[in-house]
Amino acid sequence: MHLVVCVKAVPSTTEVKMDPRTNTIVRDGRAAVLNPFDATALELALQIKEGVAASGEPCRVTVLSMGIPDTERLLRDCIARGADAGLLLSDRAFAGADTLATTYALGCGVRALGEPVDLILCGKMAVDGDTAQIGPELAGELDIPCVVDVQAVEGPLGAGDGADEGTGDGPICRHGRLRAVRATDAGTEFVEVDLPAVITVGKDAARLRMPGIPGVLASSDAPVTVLGADRVGADPARCGLTGSPTQVVRSFVPERADEAEPVRGDAREQAAKLAELIGGMA
Amino acid sequence: MTAIHPMTREYAEYLHDESRSVGSADSISFPADEDGIRSVLRALRTRPDGSAAAPPPVTVQGARTGLAAGAVPGGGHVMNLSRANRFLGLREEDGVFYLRVQPGVVLSELRRHLVAGTIPARGWGRADLRALERLYAGPEQVLPTDPTETSACLGGMAACNASGARSYRWGPMRPHVSALRVVLADGDVIDLRRGRVRARGRRLALSTESGRSLEVDLPRYAMPRTKNASGYFVEDDMDAIDLFVGSDGTLGVISELEVALSPAPAVTWGVSCFFDCEDRAVDFVAAARPALRHAAAFEYFDAAALDILRSQRAHAAAFASLPGLDDAWGCCVYVEIACDDEESARGDLARVAELMSGVGGDPADTWVARTDVDRETQRFFRHAVPESVNMLIDARRRADPSITKLGSDMSVPDDRLRDVVALYRRTLAEAGLQSAAWGHIGDNHLHVNILPRDAREYAAGKELFGVWAREVTAMGGAVSAEHGVGKLKRDFLAVMYGGRAVAEMAALKRRFDPYCQLGRGNLFDPHLCEGGA
Amino acid sequence: MSGLAIDRELCIGCGMCVKACDTGGIELAWEGPRKFARGTDACVYCGACAGVCPVDAISITGGAPTGDDPSTYRGIWVFAQTGPDGRVLPVARELLGRARTIADERGCALTAVLGAGPAADGAGPRDLIAAGADEVIVCRDARLAEPDAEVFARWICALARDRRPEAILYGATAFGRELAPAVAVRLKTGLTADCTALSADPETGLLQQTRPAFGGNLMATIVCPAHRPQMATVRPGVFAAPAPDASRTGTVSEVALDAGVAPRVRVLERRPAAAAASIADARRLVVVGRGIGSKKNLPLMRRLAELLGAELGCTRPLVEAGWLEYAHQVGQTGVAVAPDLLVSVGVSGAIQHLAGIGGAKTVIAVNEDPDAPVFGAARYRVVGDCIEVASALVEELEGR
Repeated sequence: MHLVVCVKAVPSTTEVKMDPRTNTIVRDGRAAVLNPFDATALELALQIKEGVAASGEPCRVTVLSMGIPDTERLLRDCIARGADAGLLLSDRAFAGADTLATTYALGCGVRALGEPVDLILCGKMAVDGDTAQIGPELAGELDIPCVVDVQAVEGPLGAGDGADEGTGDGPICRHGRLRAVRATDAGTEFVEVDLPAVITVGKDAARLRMPGIPGVLASSDAPVTVLGADRVGADPARCGLTGSPTQVVRSFVPERADEAEPVRGDAREQAAKLAELIGGMA
Repeated sequence: MTAIHPMTREYAEYLHDESRSVGSADSISFPADEDGIRSVLRALRTRPDGSAAAPPPVTVQGARTGLAAGAVPGGGHVMNLSRANRFLGLREEDGVFYLRVQPGVVLSELRRHLVAGTIPARGWGRADLRALERLYAGPEQVLPTDPTETSACLGGMAACNASGARSYRWGPMRPHVSALRVVLADGDVIDLRRGRVRARGRRLALSTESGRSLEVDLPRYAMPRTKNASGYFVEDDMDAIDLFVGSDGTLGVISELEVALSPAPAVTWGVSCFFDCEDRAVDFVAAARPALRHAAAFEYFDAAALDILRSQRAHAAAFASLPGLDDAWGCCVYVEIACDDEESARGDLARVAELMSGVGGDPADTWVARTDVDRETQRFFRHAVPESVNMLIDARRRADPSITKLGSDMSVPDDRLRDVVALYRRTLAEAGLQSAAWGHIGDNHLHVNILPRDAREYAAGKELFGVWAREVTAMGGAVSAEHGVGKLKRDFLAVMYGGRAVAEMAALKRRFDPYCQLGRGNLFDPHLCEGGA
Repeated sequence: MSGLAIDRELCIGCGMCVKACDTGGIELAWEGPRKFARGTDACVYCGACAGVCPVDAISITGGAPTGDDPSTYRGIWVFAQTGPDGRVLPVARELLGRARTIADERGCALTAVLGAGPAADGAGPRDLIAAGADEVIVCRDARLAEPDAEVFARWICALARDRRPEAILYGATAFGRELAPAVAVRLKTGLTADCTALSADPETGLLQQTRPAFGGNLMATIVCPAHRPQMATVRPGVFAAPAPDASRTGTVSEVALDAGVAPRVRVLERRPAAAAASIADARRLVVVGRGIGSKKNLPLMRRLAELLGAELGCTRPLVEAGWLEYAHQVGQTGVAVAPDLLVSVGVSGAIQHLAGIGGAKTVIAVNEDPDAPVFGAARYRVVGDCIEVASALVEELEGR
């Protein structure tokens, strides 16, 4: 069984501060970290791997990312925690990608793994972009089913139990099913899906384990492959800024009042103003 | 003019601190600066009716995070300094940054501002602002002292000579305090700067800002050669400032302090090493101390502590996010590696693996935290231990209010670590008491906490502490290694140094505080101060 | 030509862009007597520089034209999501209200797209027209009875390929945020998630989509110049729903779902949402501290919470005093909370407590002490006796 976890390097804090003198954004200059949702997805993948391995079937976890060369550091960290291999898509051609161009690159990456994939796990969203689009778009790109906002998984069940043959010649060809609890607008659903599939994972579904000493020591020479756009057969016209339908016109820090606004008057007047304030909130 | 409020119900929280003992007081003030402190002290000296009665006791409070009841008032006035929390200035000398603050600045705030580059510098002079720019431009700076409770304030940390896990490497608060301004009970001020005034032998001459000179004889006891926060710091030819650091609010009120910052280590990795039994853990620490070049801390959590954590994790929502503990793990040694590059850290990590194997442990039974998220998880884990024990005690207290947690704070020299652990285990078993132990095993300094189930066990536990105080003293140790003596441990101070030394301390105090107003009841029984002035 | 474009006529070499850049993607270079900004290889085209440029000299320009003429697309669509009861969700009406204005500016039609099971509420199309739609496209099919994003996506894609709308808007509900990307990837077009503002550019007619990123700490305005349809999801509650106008008329067209579309995710069991299990998940919170004085004031606080639809939290001293259970404790040693509204009553605001309420969106603090640190974390400060204020507020809310 082969699991792929898509991960993203994000800034260590999502706090954006304005320098009041220059009216510019103050960056903290700290190293990027693993998107917390992706960390949860990795943990879920490692738990599935343990379950599958316990049943005697071999199971591998590959972490996949598109990012700057420094992202290799994060992939090694994933390997220290139990992933087996990493693929980093890194190329100037990928810069400026919106979700569609990112999805395209990740799809190329999955196809380039050279090994069939049974399940792709993504964090539900990234804390810097908050779009929650990569998972569903990747499923569409690969034309496989998608379950979003997974809270827990059961299985995979019935791997090799004679279920329908998958798309034998594509990148994804194993069989089996996965059961998962997902959050919906109305509550939660317990669902079942045939593999291969994409799931996106909610932040509280699991907590990424810490590595042990052997994992950390071994990860410094673990196999992380770094490939550019041409090596994964990506069409440059569909990559990066060029391949992105959307464009950022401008970004800005929303204005916010620093000082608390006083609510004056006697208790009755204060209460009336508060009731009005609260009433105005959705 | 700083107001003196009558002690009404709304100030009830200022009658206790983290030791959970509750005191009483008549009035309270919240001075925001040195002038405020001075005006309150002077006002308290002036009896409204012009009578000559002795002025009231004054208990100085910072963030009330102390565990020895040093900030719990015993009548009189409470002077709370939490609103004296401004950052005053910064200077750079020989590449070291010295930050001047008011005593109420909270450690976690200082850390936050240092990381974010947001130290409030309004009103600073140009030289200070230039130093601040250089501070931000260079590598990240920290105050190395790391008490477990990060909501402690810097004035309190200096007053009790706080320490923490990293004191194994960087020592307690004392060496990082470079200057102090201390307001005496009469409102006069002593301005102290490290290196400026030294004792001659045991005789110290100081002068106040009003021009008064004070010559005092320092007590003659010898301090133990171990981590120590018991009583006044005294040694031959000592720096005057060291007398005031760790004086538990008994000599004067710290109105300003200057601390030396240090560059943060570029790499900090936390390694939780789990063992099946305590003997292996102690052997590991003994072997690792000389072997690990970059160790900044060694902390220990015993089997009972881990079990309490397991049960809290299962039952309390707030602890549900703790990482799970393997059932086979009996105890934990936390090692912190701090160095300049990852290569050195990996070298130490490989040595930790060898050392674990050497004592019969398994290097796979570890958590290595190299990211902020993991460090936070580990920090949460370490802090959840005392927190969950407090919750257990709070629950028992509701059934029997006479019960409180009994926490020890004793240290011994390196070569007595095995002996003191054996002492704790033997005597606890004999007394049939429930306990949980954790703490700074690198400094041979464990907090053994007795968890009494009823009043009888509480009494038995207190008695056991007395036994330990005597035994630890005999091993050349200290009865309070970091929490300070405060009010709760003053009996142990007498055990450790003897009655004569304590009387010398009281005599020293009277020279600075003739009416014995400040921190009354801290370090020694109030009656030792009587007959002063 | 795509990339970072700097207008040298406008650039004044002030360097604000360099400060705003997190990646070293822009630098200042001397050229003769003047300094100019110029892009480097590290640019990731995030637009932060463009946002701070005081003279609007910087722009990010996107990809090559698609060969598909955008002007051949016409009309705005709103996806009308229904709830478990089969009724159209309020967010659909909110979107129609906003889209009506944009459609009028553009001089184009506004269409609501409604997919539902055969047994769904028949009032949907009428309501959508009353909310502003000129046309409602309805598909009634058993496969649309449950929210399966892939089934809906394949239906909408087929419709959009056929009818070529210039924009499609979705509510940023859990389902909307799953459906919209499934449509976007199949149509190979752009999608902006979770918008809080929408407008049509008066010159280009492009849909300007403004959305928060970095957890709301940064806003970005996004356009989709060459690809159609332009798509966005919009948070519920951002726009006001227009009052229904029953006199409005419009057309309703029924369409069929392709026979080849089948759900691939099987739902084995549904569990309705439970009430907020803990204060950590509460949208509204009343947090009480020692300042409420006595345990006998707790019922008043409970009543206040009830009237506000809030959960009750407290500070550590109250738990220690045994007034409330530990599960209610907010702060560093309790639960970290992130409600939309937090009403803090009689809480002085110890730093350990404030550490736990940093995620709250709007804090209203009531305290007698004007210097209480809690006001530093508050949006609204109410200095006064907290029991008096709370009683008056309860009365006020009961009266409404």
